[in-house]
Order: sequence, then structure tokens, then C-alpha cells
Amino acid sequence: MSGLLDQVWTMLNRTLEVYRDNPRASHWLRRQADRLDGPLRIAVVGQQKAGKSTLVNALVGEHVAPLVAEDGPAMVWYRAGATPRATVFGRGVEPQERPAERLGGRLSVDLGEWRGEQIDRVVVDWPARGLRGMTLIDTSTMDKVAAAEADAVLYLAQHLQAADLRLLQAMQDHPIAMANPVGALLVLSRADEVGAGQLDALFGAKRLARQHRRDARIRGLCQDVVAVTGLLAFAGRALRQPEFDALAVLAFGPRAEVDGYLLSADRFAGAEFPVAVDAEMRRALLDRLGLFGLRLSTALIRQGFDTHTALCAELVARSGLTELRAAIGRCFTERAPVLKARSAAIALEVVLRMEPRPEALGLAAELERILAGAHDLRELRLIATLHAGYPVLPDELSAEARQLLGGDGVSLPARLGLAEEEPTASGLRHAVVAALRRWREQAENPILDESARSAAAVVVRSCEGMLASVSG
Amino acid sequence: MGPPPVFTHMGGQCKLIRVTALPWLDVLDATIGACVDHHRPDLANRLRQKRSHLLEPTLRVPVVGEPNQGKSQLVNALINAPVCAVGDHVTTPAPIVIGHAHSPVATLVKEPPALDGAAGAQRREPIAVEEIAEQIVARTAAPPSARGELVRTEVGIPRQLLAAGLVLVDTPAVDDLDSIRSASMFAAVSQADAVIVVSAATRELSASELALIEAVSRLCPTVVVVLTKIDIAPLWRRVAERDRARLASAGIQAQVIPVSAMLRLAAARSGDEALNAESGFTDLVSYLQREVIGKPELLARRSVTVLAGMAVQQLLAPLHQTVTATPAAGTSEAIAKWQTAQRQVDQLRKDSAAWQTMLADDMADLAADIEFDLRDRTRRILREVDRFFDEADPLTDWDTFAEWLDESLAEAIDVNFAWLVERFDWITGRIGRDLESYRDDVLPGSLREIDDSLLDTAWQLERPRVERFTLSQKVFVGLRGSYGGLLMFGLATSLAGWPLINAVSLGAGVLFAAKSIYDESGSRLKRRQAIAKATAQHHVDDVFLSFSKDTKDIVRQQQRKLRDHLTATAERLRVEILATAQSAKRAADMDVAEQQSRAAKAKSEIERLTKLHGQITALVPGGVKLPGPRRRLTA
Repeated sequence: MSGLLDQVWTMLNRTLEVYRDNPRASHWLRRQADRLDGPLRIAVVGQQKAGKSTLVNALVGEHVAPLVAEDGPAMVWYRAGATPRATVFGRGVEPQERPAERLGGRLSVDLGEWRGEQIDRVVVDWPARGLRGMTLIDTSTMDKVAAAEADAVLYLAQHLQAADLRLLQAMQDHPIAMANPVGALLVLSRADEVGAGQLDALFGAKRLARQHRRDARIRGLCQDVVAVTGLLAFAGRALRQPEFDALAVLAFGPRAEVDGYLLSADRFAGAEFPVAVDAEMRRALLDRLGLFGLRLSTALIRQGFDTHTALCAELVARSGLTELRAAIGRCFTERAPVLKARSAAIALEVVLRMEPRPEALGLAAELERILAGAHDLRELRLIATLHAGYPVLPDELSAEARQLLGGDGVSLPARLGLAEEEPTASGLRHAVVAALRRWREQAENPILDESARSAAAVVVRSCEGMLASVSG
Repeated sequence: MGPPPVFTHMGGQCKLIRVTALPWLDVLDATIGACVDHHRPDLANRLRQKRSHLLEPTLRVPVVGEPNQGKSQLVNALINAPVCAVGDHVTTPAPIVIGHAHSPVATLVKEPPALDGAAGAQRREPIAVEEIAEQIVARTAAPPSARGELVRTEVGIPRQLLAAGLVLVDTPAVDDLDSIRSASMFAAVSQADAVIVVSAATRELSASELALIEAVSRLCPTVVVVLTKIDIAPLWRRVAERDRARLASAGIQAQVIPVSAMLRLAAARSGDEALNAESGFTDLVSYLQREVIGKPELLARRSVTVLAGMAVQQLLAPLHQTVTATPAAGTSEAIAKWQTAQRQVDQLRKDSAAWQTMLADDMADLAADIEFDLRDRTRRILREVDRFFDEADPLTDWDTFAEWLDESLAEAIDVNFAWLVERFDWITGRIGRDLESYRDDVLPGSLREIDDSLLDTAWQLERPRVERFTLSQKVFVGLRGSYGGLLMFGLATSLAGWPLINAVSLGAGVLFAAKSIYDESGSRLKRRQAIAKATAQHHVDDVFLSFSKDTKDIVRQQQRKLRDHLTATAERLRVEILATAQSAKRAADMDVAEQQSRAAKAKSEIERLTKLHGQITALVPGGVKLPGPRRRLTA
């Protein structure tokens, strides 16, 4: 399924050839080539205090963001690396490496004299499994630069407001991006603060995400809406044994009294406390989990998640991080070639439009042809439409269509729903042929309306592709 | 079901007394009057609405804010009853108005969607207070069309806080995603005596919240910002501090009160006074009692100060413009017109004198040139005549000659006249172009045509009286000539003895006769030619005289016609321009006078309104500080 990527590669090389004598354009194009080679770039954007850094930490699994407390750089890139390293890219100067190390489980970077305004971006290499296959870009400004640097966007918002939608729209303000709204996930962050911090807050947030997913205004701008509590997720991944022990003490202490102190952050961090957890530890716990996290954790420990591992697993599960990771996988990393090809196509289009020259006219036309004919993009669009619950296909067909299109994973068994057992080549072939026959019928089914038939035709095309790879 | 719940107010009585003599009411009425005087019914209506709201015995305090900041929870906590539905997935669809009643009572006010543009009649449905929250939850799930009916929910419950006339209004969240709900929030604010803006303490005030507070404080100056959820926000103290700083730097006077509804409700359940104090609600309630319930008069004054003050400012702006525009009167259009007209008249006077001179010169030149040309032509004809009659014998060739002479003269005259016409056309054209700068149609075509009826072309060439050499004359001349020869030779031959009459003398006589006849006829031809020449000359002179007289007459006549026309036109133009100038001058004079009177009126109005504004600001001793002019929030 990387036909598109190959085509865009070829286009990129040909364009480089044409603009060889234009240093600006060729520099830009060479950067795009580097980008096509590298891992998928995912930008975490959102308004101030939307929980961007917390989410980055949760995804990485360690405390890496924010880089500095105040006046930090506009963009920090986190990519997988063997040892911690930080490189500062200033405006108009050579990149400079700054000392970085893991200190007490968190990233510590000495930026020296560098201040927010002077820094274009800081690239952090960090050894973490969470960064495999992607580069996370933590942004502090709401400009479109970050979105342009990224292949996909995680947009964070606590409550979705019109301003958020406008920003989300502005980030996709490019003809190619608009036609293929496949590079954004909306994340309802800080779900623990929604409502009044009650234990059912997370369910409420998830319900809200489902509501948004059905909202026509949001559907066109992103592929999915996920509710995540970054703080809980990060806590679930980074909770240390002493902290768990303290939580256990709280959970099994005199309940009525402890609950009284769990009423407010002030009370919890106050001087008096009924059980043997010192003030420093309490502040650390409050910092780590928030009041909501404390209430939830103690409740969970009482419910039987009474080991460190069990509690962490449950916290992660409840935080929505699992869903977010699945959505990132489904929508972004598994589709990385297509998304990168899309970014490169946008960059190419910019060059061809901004620096027109006669010998490049054919290239522009060909780029358009490639994009229009790209089945991968059509697949993504249809998945997004189906995922949003838009009634293109009847319900019973919709689920299967999504699976075949690669909505649950792009490997052959995943597409055919044969993920459980190890399928044989003939079994796969059999399944593909059966699916192809079924969907060919649907594509000509007179009962279905026009849009449903054309959707079925896209599925048929996917099945044909699978058949080719099975036979291949 | 009985009548709808009517809130009972212990404070009603004192409010009635309030109505009797109120300084703010007088000022407000004066402002409304000024608005009406200045043709601003929009402002007047807004103030009238405010007036009726202020005169109501209740104190309305709407609770506004962005979604999920805990507005409903705050209201519930304030009245210690779960009236409003809370939860992140629930949004208050329509205002819930909560006032005092002796026993809990609630009514849904519904209005069927207006189908044909006219608003349907409102329906009131009683509902149990406990069911309101459920209703709202159910409604949130319902499709929007079913929600649309509900206008507001009115609730009355027995609470000490409300007994003094306080009415809390839980409003739908403000979000530009949903402008209809925002509109209903702003409607609630415009009726308010004080406004509670709710923001969660988990983060600082956002730019949009700050904009909301600004907008609200323009409609109702008494604003209190309540930071909710301080129970789950460990850093709420810092947030509150920063919020205060931000409000101050935005120029908004608003109290910031951090509260926790959860603590308050927990305190209510357990009866824990310390917890209640910790929730911040004691501060909020005491603020409401002290600043809102305790000072209805001050709230009204503040509202009037802001709204009436703003209205007066709006009235003053155009007046100031009028006043500042006055000094520029000298450059006004009418005066400019008048000055132009005057310049035009001067120019016309100069121009018309120039035209007359030009006309006279041109015409004199024309007459001289024409005459010279004609003379030249006739001279050439006469030279031809001389040459002709040196040879020809008028006796035989007169008719041919007469014909040629006629033709030559006619041609000369034609050419000459054509030239006259051409020259004249050029002259009139030149004058016409000059006149065109004043008016398009000043030179009628009739003036450019020459009346050639004056020309007398019917001259007649008279045949000269030339005598023929008749036979008898020849005989006589011959005889006379032969007589001499006969006699001469007869006498000579007689000497020879010949008779007097002999052959020789006879021959000589014949010869002499022949010679004298020949001589005679030659001299006669010469005489005839001279006569013919003289006749032709006379004729040509006659024609020249008569024609040149005619052309002179014509030229003079045309000149006179043109001169008269120019004089008349110049006079008429002068009169016209002067009339325009005078009317322009009158207009200019009037303009200045009117502007002066308008400015004077504006000045007096400004004085009046400034005085009114002074009265308005005097209502609140310290004055009410308002946020500066609206600017784009970029932060």
C-alpha cells in the first residue's frame, strides 16, 4: 500500500531536478525528502493549559515536557534515540547541542543562554519505547508552523469551543489538506476536571467524545475524538513504588476521615493528616495524580487493584490513553506512508505554486493526477466518514467495510478479520475472493443509493489490492 | 393548576418606598428624554427597558460563563438544593430563574416555535422542583427541535438568601459555537442588577472569558468573578491572584471570589461549618448580601451611571463633530461656488471686449482683402480685353466677346464671394469657439450664413455703338479720294494736252479712291476697337463697383449682426453668471448662518448633556470604572 509514497518520491526527485538552480526551493524540497525518510511527525497542539505537555509525558511514559517551566521554546521535538540528547535550532544560526540527561526519572536540559524567542525548535533524542515510529512535537504557540511541520496533529481541548474549531480548520488550510482531512485527532484533555471531579468524570468525558464524534462540524475536521486524562495516564505509567505504598496507606486508612481530607486539595496538602503519609509525599501525590486521581486511585485500591502493577494498568486503561494509542496507531502510524506522502504532496504543491516555471507545469498536473487517483487517500476518507458514524452504508455493511478498508489495522489478516489464528496463504486468498465477490455485488446493488454504491466501489478496489498482494 | 408562582419578597416593601424619590430615576428619565430629542429611539428603548427592570422589586443576578465551568453547580450550592442539572454532558438549555417562594414551586415556560414569523403564545406547565434536573438531562438527549420550545424555567423555593428579593438566573453557557444560547445569556445580563461570571480555578481566565467579562460589564457594571472547583485545583490561589491582575490590567473592576461547590454541598450534608467556610461560599453569600441585597440603590445607580453615561456619550459624539466642523465653513461648497461665479463674470467682461476688437479687426481685414482680390481679378480680365480687341473687330466678334466677358466676370465674382464666405466662416468659428467656453449654444447657425440676396448680379453688358462702313459712305469716301487723284493727274496730263479726264487721270482717280477707302476702313476699325475696349472697361468697372459695394455691405451687415449678438450674449451670460453667483452667495451666507446656529445649538446641547453626564457620574460617588475601548484580544 505504499504506491502513493513511491509516486510522491519520484515526483519529489523530479521536482528537485527542475529546481536544482533555485537554492531556496531545493533546500525546502531536500527537507521534505529528509522528512519522507524519517518517522511520522505528530504535533500536539491546543490552547494554553490544554494539557499538551502532560499528554506528551503520558505518551512518552516519562517526564520530558515541558522542557523549561517558563519562557520555553515554541516547539520541542521528541524522537527516539539511544541516549538523551538535546539540540537547539536557533533562528539563523547553526544548531547547537546542549547538555541533557535523565535526572530522577525526568528529562533535564540546560538551555544555557537560549530563551524562547531565539529558539526555532529544540530536538530531544530520548530513549523511550513510546516514541518508536513517531516524532512528537510539543508546541507552546498556536501558530500554523507546527501544523505545517507535522504529518498529523493531536488537537487538545478541554471543552471544544468555536475558537478551537477555527484553529483546527486553520491548520488544514491547504487545498490538499482540506480535500483529505485525515491528519487530525481531537483529544478532549483534562477529562478529570470536567464535571465536578467526581468519580464518573471519565465516563462523562467519554460520552462527550462520542457526542462530538457525531457532530457534523467536528467530523469534517478530524478523524476521531478521544477523551484522555493526561495526568492519570502519565501517573499510570510513571507511578513509583513509594507513591503506590503511600496510596495504599491512604486507601486502607480510616475511610471516613481520609475522605474528609480528600474533599479538597487544600485539605489534602494541609498540615494535619490522619494517617502516616508525610506532607512532602502528599504534595508529590497531588502533583502526580491530582485530587481526582487520588480519589480514583484510593477507590481502585479498595476495589482490588491493590498492587502497583494492577493499579497502574487500571489507571492507564481508565485514562483513555489506550484508546488514544489505538487511535494514533489506526489513524496515524499504520498509515504513516500515506500521511507522509500527503505532507510531501502539500509541500510540493507549495513549491510548484510559489515558484512557477514552464518546465514544472507538467509536474503540477501529474501531482494532481496522483492525488486524485490515490486509492490510499480515498480509503482514509471513507474510513473517516464511516468512523464518524455518517450513514453512508447500512449498519450491517458499515463495520465490514471499515475492516476491509483497514480501519482496524492495515495488515491483511486484520483487514479480513482473521487476526486470531495464523491464516494460511490459501485461507487468505479464499477470504479475499469471498469479500471481493460480496462487495462487487454491493457496488451494483440497486437498493443502495449513489453514495453507498460508490463507497462499496472503494471497498472493492481495496479488495482487489489485497488480492493482488496475495497472488503477488 | 393555580396561577404561576409569584416570588414573594420581604424586601418588596422597602423597594416601594425606594420608588418615590430617587435621584437615579430622574437622571435616567432625563437621559431617555435626551435620547428621544436626539432621535435615538434605540438608545431610549434600551434605557426604558433598564428602567423597568430597575423598578422591579427583585434583584436579578444571572450566573454566566463558558461551558462546564460549574455554573449550575454554583447555583445549586448557593441555594443548597439540586435544582439545576449538573454534569459535563449536560448543558443548561434555557435560563432557570430562581426566586423566593414560601414552598417549593416550579413552572416551565414554553413557547411553541414561531412557524409563520409570529411568536406563539407562551404556555406555562407546572413541574415538581425535583424533576427539573431530570427534565434537563432528558432534554439534552432530545433532538434540538424538541428543545426549542422551552423559554425558561421559573423556580420558587424558600431560602433566606432569596427572601430579600434576590433572583438567581442559571444561564446557558456562552460559546460562540451556539450563538442563540449566548443571546439568551446576554438578554439575561441586560436585565441584571449584578452578574456572577463563573470560571473554573483549574486554569486562568482565558482570552474569551476576559472578553465575556468586558462585554458583560458594559451591560451591567456590577460583576463578580467566581472561581469554582478550588477543591480540585491545588494552585487555585495563584490562579486567583493572576486573574485579579489580569482583570485589573484590563481595567475591569470585579471582585474575584474562589469557591468550591463540592465543599459547600459536603458541608451542607455534614453540617460542618469549617468546611462551609473553606468552600468560600460564606464569602460569596456575604458579598451578595452586603453588595447586592444590601445596596440595591447603589446597584441601580451604578447601572444608570454606566448605561445612561454610555448613551449620553453616544449622543455627544455627533454634537462634538458638528462643533468642530464649524471653522471649516469658509471652504464650504456654496462659498466656493460664489467665488467661482465672480471670477467667471470678470473673465467674461474681459473676453467680450476682446471678442469685439477681434471682430472689428477681422472684418476690416476681410473687407480689404476681398476688395483687393476682386480688383486683381477684374484687372486681369481687362488685360485680356485689351489683348482681344487689339486684334478682333468688335463688329464681327462682339457677341463672342460679350459671352466670354460675362463668364469671366461671373467666375471672378463667384470665387471672390466664396472666399468671402470662407473667411467669414473662419472668423465666426473662432469667436464661436471662444464663446463655447461659456455656453454651448451661443452662436446660432443663422449667424454663420451670409445673406447673398443683397448681391446684384443682374448686370447687362451694353453693346457699344460702332458704326458700320456703309456702301454709300464708301462711295462717298471713294469719290472724295478719287477727286484729288483725278484732278491731280488730269491737271498734270492737261499739261501734256490731254483732256482733264483721260485714262490716266481716271486710273489715278480709281487708285486714289481705293486707297482712301482702305485708309478710311482701317481708321474706322481702330475707332471701333477703342470704343469696344472703352465699353468693356466701363462695364467691368461698373460690375466691380457694384459688387464691391455689395460685398462691403454684406460684410458690414454681418459684422453688425455678429457684434450685436456678441454683445447680447455677453450680457446674457453675465446676467446668468451673476444670478448663479448671487444665489450661491445667498446659499453660502445661509450655510454659514445655519452652521453657526447649528453649532450654537450643538454647543448648548453639549452643555446640557455634559451637565446630565455630570449628574449621572455623580450618582456613584467614586464613579464606575469601565474597561477601556474595545480592542482585539490577542493574548
